[in-house]
Amino acid sequence: MVSFSAEQRFVVTGASSGIGEGVALLLNELGATVIGIGRNQERLEGMRAKAKAPGNVFLEQKDLAEDISGLHVYVKSLKEKYGKFSGMAYCAGITLNQPLQLKDYETSRRLFDIDYFAPMFMTKAFGDRRNTVGRGTSIVLISSAAANCSARAMSDYCGAKAALSHSARCIAKELAPHGIRINCVLPADIVTPMTLADPDILASKNYPMGVGEVSDVANLVAFLLSDKAKWITGQNYVVDCASF
Amino acid sequence: MNKEEFLIQMQDVLQTEIELKMETVLDELDEWDSLSMMATMAFLDKNFGVKLKIADIKTLVNIGDIAAKAGIQ
Repeated sequence: MVSFSAEQRFVVTGASSGIGEGVALLLNELGATVIGIGRNQERLEGMRAKAKAPGNVFLEQKDLAEDISGLHVYVKSLKEKYGKFSGMAYCAGITLNQPLQLKDYETSRRLFDIDYFAPMFMTKAFGDRRNTVGRGTSIVLISSAAANCSARAMSDYCGAKAALSHSARCIAKELAPHGIRINCVLPADIVTPMTLADPDILASKNYPMGVGEVSDVANLVAFLLSDKAKWITGQNYVVDCASF
Repeated sequence: MNKEEFLIQMQDVLQTEIELKMETVLDELDEWDSLSMMATMAFLDKNFGVKLKIADIKTLVNIGDIAAKAGIQ
């Protein structure tokens, strides 16, 4: 059974809804201290209201894509406020349908900022041993089953997630000598506000065991963040119920 | 870049909590490994246009030797 202590502090991004919220609540339930980052303070409060141990949930309102160059300084300031971190679950992201003929650079770049560059530079900050407990630190990035798939109008999203998944494998080699692990989880469509916004997403596929739930992803994330996964790094785990 | 600025930058290159001085001996830092050697090479190239080989890096003894390669006294 995976469990944590309150001295183990994890940053969870995208913590106000969907997979991020589920991960934040599960880590908290398993004993960890959670620093939840999200863009909307009200929704963050809503997450904390559901927590088993709300005293160990701290909230930080922040749009991580706003100043990607400044993320290192931001994480350092969080470390000074809360103490050294045991890891991070990066769960913030957007999806976007953009057929080739409608592609525009600004929109494409915005997607890469949120789905690729922000997690990369957060990872840089968590690979810095001055911000973490060092050995035993674990990073989990939520990528997507889309990283391995091809879909019409999804070239940016699939491309950004594929880039994220592969970069994580390279970074794993840089961090392994320091005892820091990084893995990606690649969910297919999970029932979240992001997917519910487009009913076609959930209706269009044939999920043999039904559509995935947030907990199906969160449990794997918690395992990968825990010391039970101490020999697992540089991996990409697909959670798609054999649907693709 | 002056000496003080260089030391602050090296702090981030090596990601060490030990306060670096020009006299700090590289082999005495836990952080001085093959990856931080690569980081030092990239740092010198990017900021000073100085291209070193791994063999050059291995001859450096202290932080001051890196500064000397960057032309900082």
